[in-house]
Amino acid sequence: MPDSSPSLTRRDFLVSGAKLGAAILAAPYIARAAGPSSGGTQSLNVALIGCGEEGRVLLNAALKIPDIRFRAVCDIWNYNRTYGQRLLEKFGHDPKPFEDYKEMLSAVPDLDAVIIATPDFMHAEHTNACLRAGHHVYCEKLMSNTPEGARSMVRTARETKKLLQVGHQRRSNPRYLYARDQVVYDHKLLGRVTNAAAQWNRAVTEDLGWPKKFEIPEAKLHQYGYENMHQFRNWRWFKKYAGGPISDLGAHQIDVFNWFLKCNPRSVLAGGGVDYYTTHEWYDNVTAIYEFETPHGVVRSVYGVLTTTSAGGGYHESFMGDEGTLKMSENPKYTKLYREARAPEWEHWAATGLIKRSTSGEGAPPPVAPWEKPRPNFTLAPPRASVVDVRETAALSSWDMPVTLDLPIHQPHLENFFDAIRHGTPLNCPGEVALATAVTVLGVNDAVAAQKMLHFAPEDFTA
Amino acid sequence: MSDEPSSHPDRNCGHTLAFLVLRLFLGLRTLFAGIEKFEKGGTYSAANYSDNMHHMAAGITGASFLPLWMTTDFAMTLGYVLTLLGGLLILGVKSRLTLFVTGLVYVGLAFGLMAVQEQQGTAWLGIYVGLIAGALVLVRHDRLALWPDKRD
Repeated sequence: MPDSSPSLTRRDFLVSGAKLGAAILAAPYIARAAGPSSGGTQSLNVALIGCGEEGRVLLNAALKIPDIRFRAVCDIWNYNRTYGQRLLEKFGHDPKPFEDYKEMLSAVPDLDAVIIATPDFMHAEHTNACLRAGHHVYCEKLMSNTPEGARSMVRTARETKKLLQVGHQRRSNPRYLYARDQVVYDHKLLGRVTNAAAQWNRAVTEDLGWPKKFEIPEAKLHQYGYENMHQFRNWRWFKKYAGGPISDLGAHQIDVFNWFLKCNPRSVLAGGGVDYYTTHEWYDNVTAIYEFETPHGVVRSVYGVLTTTSAGGGYHESFMGDEGTLKMSENPKYTKLYREARAPEWEHWAATGLIKRSTSGEGAPPPVAPWEKPRPNFTLAPPRASVVDVRETAALSSWDMPVTLDLPIHQPHLENFFDAIRHGTPLNCPGEVALATAVTVLGVNDAVAAQKMLHFAPEDFTA
Repeated sequence: MSDEPSSHPDRNCGHTLAFLVLRLFLGLRTLFAGIEKFEKGGTYSAANYSDNMHHMAAGITGASFLPLWMTTDFAMTLGYVLTLLGGLLILGVKSRLTLFVTGLVYVGLAFGLMAVQEQQGTAWLGIYVGLIAGALVLVRHDRLALWPDKRD
C-alpha cells in the first residue's frame, strides 16, 4: 500500500517547530500591539516601585482602572513589598516581588509603565532608570528633592521619548479643571486676580514606628542610602531625603498657583523654622510669599504650611479677584466661590448652570428637617448690618460649582497617564511642568535659609 | 360725666383696636401658613400641596411614634383648614369660634413637633397659642367684623 501521507523530513519538523515556537512567544506582544486597533482597550503591564503609604494610595486608585495588569512590585522593605503584593493578588494580579529595582527591570522587561512612589531623593534615579529601560513613568511628587534631579528626569524623558507624568493630581481633577478653565478664564468670574493664598494646616503627628521583627538591618539601609530605620520610616522630615512639609504638603498647592496663574513666580520670600519637633530636620512651619508676573498684572500669593495645628480651616487654595474669589480644595467641603458685593450679579451664571447656589457649607440655606419643605429661593440684599466698621466691605455671597469628583482623587491623573500611553492624550502634568513646580517649591527652603527674597530667572524652570 | 374710660366693651376704642390688629395678624399668619403649603419650587398648586404634605407626614412619622395614617390625615387637611381659618379671621367671621378652632389646630401642630422633639418650632407655636388666648380674652371687643359674635 502506497504511503499517501505527506512526508515530514527532520529539517521540515525543525523549521515548523521553530516557527510555531516563535509565534507562541510573540503572541502576547502581537495581541497587545493590536489591542486598540482591534476594538478593545490595550492592556498595560505596570510595576510599582515603593509600596509605602503613597504607593498604596496609588495602587488602590489604579486598581479601579480597567486593563491595567500589575506585573511587579518593588520595595526595599519586605513589610511594604508583601503588603503591595498581597493587595494586588486579592484583585487577581500576579505581581513578582523585588527588593532591587534594577533586578526588577531586567527580570520583567515587558513592562509598559512604572509607577514610582519612593522617597523624593530616589525619584530621579528610579525614574531615569525606568525611562532608559524603555518604560513610561508616573512619578509621585515632589519630582525630586533637588532641581538638578528634576532636570535630569526631564532630559531623560526627552532623550528616551518616553512619557513622564508627575503626581500633581489636582491637574486632572475635573473640579479643578472646571474652575480654572470655565470659571476663571472662559467666563472671568473673578475679574482681575490680584492675590492668591493657600495653606495646609495639619495637627501634630507622631513619628512613624515599625514592627521590631520587620526591622531592616542597618547594613542594608546604608546600601540603599538611609542612615537608620527611624530615618527610613520618617524620611519626609530629613534634608537628605526630601524637602520637608513645604514639599510634602505645599507642593500640591504651590503647583496650583503656577497652573492657575499660567506662569512661574518671579520671586519668593519666606520664613520658617523647626520650632516644635525635636526629631525633625526640616522646618515644621513655613510661610512664603511669591510674586507672579501675569499678563494681567502682578499677583502676590501667600502660602503657609503648619504641622502643629489643624486649626484655620484645613487645606485649600484661594484666588482673589476684584469681582470674586475662588476657594479650591481637594476636599469639596472647603471649595466655594464668592462674589464681591460690587461685582455684577451672578444669577444669570446660575441660570446657565455655570455655577449654582450654595447647597452645603458656607452660604447654604439652613438645614431643613425631614418634615419641612425646602424654602423658596430668594436673595436678600447684602447684610450691611453685619458690617461692624465703615471700612469693612459688605459680605460676599457664596456659590458652588456643579462639578464633583466621585472617584479616588488620584484616579483621574493615573487615567490621564494611561490614556497618554494608549491614545497619545496629552499629559496633564508632564516632566517639564513638574520641574517648574519643583523649582518653585524648593525655592522656599532656599529663601528661608537665605533669609531674604530670592529671584527666579526663566532658565531656572527649564532643563 | 366722667374722665374714666368706659368699661363697656362697645365703648372701649383701645381694646377694639388692640383686638383688631391682633386678629389681622393672626389671620394673615394663619392664611399664609396655609398658602405656603401649596408652594414648591416657586409655583403653587394642589399637586404641590399633596407632595409637600405627604413629605411632611412621612417626616413626622419617621421621627416619632405617630402612625402614618394619623399624620397623613392631619397633613392633608391642614393647609385647607389654615387657609380657611386665616381668611375668616381677616374678615372677622365668628371670631370667637374661629380663634378657638385656630388655637386647637396650632396645639395639634405643636403636638406633632413635640413628638419629633422639635423644641424651637414648638416654642414658636406656643407663642401663637398665647396670642390666640389673648385674642380670645379680647374677642368681646370685636367690632370691625363681617359677621360678629353675639355680644356678651
